[in-house]
Amino acid sequence: MKFSKALLSSLAVTALIPFFNPGLVSAQAKPGGRTLLYTSVPQELATRFGDAFMKTRPEIKVEIYRAGSTEIGTKLAAEREVGGIRADLLWLADAPVYYELKAKGELLAYISPEAKHIPADLKDPNGYFTAGRLINMIIAVNQEVVPLKDAPKAWKDFPDLGKKAVMGNPLYSGSNFVTVAVFVKQDGWGWFERARAKGVAIVRGNSEAASALAGKEFGIAMTLDYIVSGLIKKGAPLAIVWPAEGAISVPSPIAIIKGTKNPDASKAFVDYVLSKEGQQFLVTQEVIPVRGDVNPPKGQPSASQIKFLPIPYEWAAENAAAIRERFEKIMLQ
Amino acid sequence: MTASKLDRRYLLMAATGLFVLLVVVYPLWQVFFRSFLDAGAFSLKSYHKVFSNPTYYRAILNSVWVSLATAASCMVVGTLLAFLAVRTDLPYKKALRSLIVLPYALPSFFAAIAWIQLLGPQGYLARFFMQLSGREAAPWNIYSAAGIVFVLTVHYFVLVFITVAGALERMDASLEEAARASGAGTFRIMREITLPLVLPAILAGGLLAFIGSLANFGIPALLGMRARFFVLTTSVYYALAIPDFALATALSSMLVAVALVFMCLQLGIQRGEGRYTVISGKSVRPSELKLRSTRVPLFLGATVFVVFISIIPILSMALTALLTYWGAPLKQASFTLDHFAYILKLEAARRAVLNSLFLAALAATITTVAGVLISYMHVKAKLKGSRALDFLATIPYAVPHTVIAIAMILAWARPPASLYGTLWIILVAYLAVYLPFAVRTTHSTLQQVHDSLEEAARVSGAKLLARLRDILLPLARPGMIAGWILVFMPALRELTVSILLYAHRTETIGVTVYNLQDAGYREVAAALASIVMGLLIVGNFVIRRLTGGAAGF
Repeated sequence: MKFSKALLSSLAVTALIPFFNPGLVSAQAKPGGRTLLYTSVPQELATRFGDAFMKTRPEIKVEIYRAGSTEIGTKLAAEREVGGIRADLLWLADAPVYYELKAKGELLAYISPEAKHIPADLKDPNGYFTAGRLINMIIAVNQEVVPLKDAPKAWKDFPDLGKKAVMGNPLYSGSNFVTVAVFVKQDGWGWFERARAKGVAIVRGNSEAASALAGKEFGIAMTLDYIVSGLIKKGAPLAIVWPAEGAISVPSPIAIIKGTKNPDASKAFVDYVLSKEGQQFLVTQEVIPVRGDVNPPKGQPSASQIKFLPIPYEWAAENAAAIRERFEKIMLQ
Repeated sequence: MTASKLDRRYLLMAATGLFVLLVVVYPLWQVFFRSFLDAGAFSLKSYHKVFSNPTYYRAILNSVWVSLATAASCMVVGTLLAFLAVRTDLPYKKALRSLIVLPYALPSFFAAIAWIQLLGPQGYLARFFMQLSGREAAPWNIYSAAGIVFVLTVHYFVLVFITVAGALERMDASLEEAARASGAGTFRIMREITLPLVLPAILAGGLLAFIGSLANFGIPALLGMRARFFVLTTSVYYALAIPDFALATALSSMLVAVALVFMCLQLGIQRGEGRYTVISGKSVRPSELKLRSTRVPLFLGATVFVVFISIIPILSMALTALLTYWGAPLKQASFTLDHFAYILKLEAARRAVLNSLFLAALAATITTVAGVLISYMHVKAKLKGSRALDFLATIPYAVPHTVIAIAMILAWARPPASLYGTLWIILVAYLAVYLPFAVRTTHSTLQQVHDSLEEAARVSGAKLLARLRDILLPLARPGMIAGWILVFMPALRELTVSILLYAHRTETIGVTVYNLQDAGYREVAAALASIVMGLLIVGNFVIRRLTGGAAGF
């Protein structure tokens, strides 16, 4: 019977695959020199950074799980139900999460010797987390849709472009949530009511906003600088406007999970992230550094040149549910 | 019937039951009971939230009507095409079939992107229309409920197509012959003989399309948000982002409830199963309908359709992979092979392809075998409790994939049975996700095999295994192959379950595509998806050659 032959041979081929694939046979290395990092940092950046670290500390093995902020949040919540978080290290773009984790007592306090080079507003005073890189919420313009001279120079003018403007959904994206919190804390909900009335579009997140902007579906977008820089590098007719009131600089903190089986390896990784060498490596990957003594990537303004809006983290963490609910009522219903 | 034969069938059922228990019931229960928890105590708070917040109950209604509309259009399109591809003398039927099935392997994310590229406000067709008419915008809007129904239909009609095509192939021609001999016209035969005979397959396919769109997240997420149109799955995702586990599971329970209602309706319509047994052992192939004067117009129509739904989305993805960035003007300077070079050098991508091939092949094989056994016990052996088993095995189809992934962590991440961090937990999750496909497709297949065949074998003393091997499996083979493909293709590109369950070195194709995409490497992600598509086309060609057309799509 031809069919059973096909079935048998396909089974045989399938059975052989594991032998070419070490991931199947030994998914977990010895805990000794291993540290597991959950991160929402872009895959390539995370992998390269991990490799660079392992070159300096060959006895330590960094294993990386990379996913979006929401997926990592879900994974953490599920792991909590079955005996605790499995990761040793957490490096997300979603700063408010760290305040929650700290409140739940799930983080290990560690003040890295490198932390003294990092500004006070980018680290937790008790060492529960420290910013490892910066990402900035800015206004991006597609110059083929809206000439740069007509583009808004300030956040307050952003809603005026109405249907030509797009932003990510704070219900899904951490950096958008932080941005909404900054706006609301300063001026209440007026900005959003105006945006809704004029028809500003909401998409899922910053990547989608930037993609739709490059695809000329919109003229301006509220999105993250490094995504836009990447598109400009590839030749897209986009430009970045640093808003007059100030950009929103979202720190992407790194923290050690309390239950880590390998605190030494985890601490060594944090030290490397914050070190001059580590930050310089990040700069080669177009990331804005957190140290004053490391120059930003070419063409990017340094932290001291840009105006930043203050971020009310603790207020945002406390009022998270109310902020989400109100945003949903105004913008999404 | 002697006692030992009875025992053996129940033994088989016990084994299958254990499988369903471990893969489906136990994990889903782990999630379900948490929807009744609030700070560790029993509470109906989450369900109260679902019914008191207009966002949520509106999402339920939206989900139902969008899925109903999708299922209806899938049934019409899928049945018509299946009929054309199987029962007529349309030229190039085989190629037509392969092309219809192929886009099913396209990650639904890329399918949605392709349609945005084509029909979106700045899409190629929209711009063409604007130039032609001089208007400011195209008269359609893909970011709308109608747009969601359209893309879902294009994505899921293949489920109806495959099940109906299989049924039409296995149909007993003698009934049609008899009607023809009695002087009935072609149209009347179709309406009164053929259509009723394949109705179970149409309904089974329609149900798959209905529940599929009910549980789909990618398409409504990408097309619905700008229209502020939300469905149950997007609400579940939102609940998880909070994160509010209990609310997410309560919303998921609503999804399951809606799916169950429609499953019961479908089973209700199919009562009186004897009517539908159409294969009674004679190997007479149904005759081909001569299209005559309509042959050319129908061929042209089918070609335009296939170009539209298969070739353009695939080309659109390939185009994305070849452009320096998405949205770049179509001129020579914008084309590059860099993205392909990049992906071929990426070790993680090669590993992902191997992992996904392994998982998809194994998941397809195991679920097909389990599906045949479950359907056999329900449809043929009619054992007590088999209906419940059939039911339980179908439930995961209506559960959002994220929730299934959570269920697997809750069930299989604790010692002594900790599979977490290995490929095996992804496999178990795939088995749960795809078992319903296998059960539903083999179910309608076995329904068409007349009981008398197995009876005859049993009376002649054939043992259970011999009967399965010599009678049922050969007759159900086309349906099983169809079922295998229906599992293999989506499993190859599965994302939502894998992204929560993968670990170091166990990444899948879906995970890699997602992570590239999410970091803004949409072009590289498209390159990887294009390579997978190419592998499928070549693989299908080789398999068809090797088996003389007995396997493949």
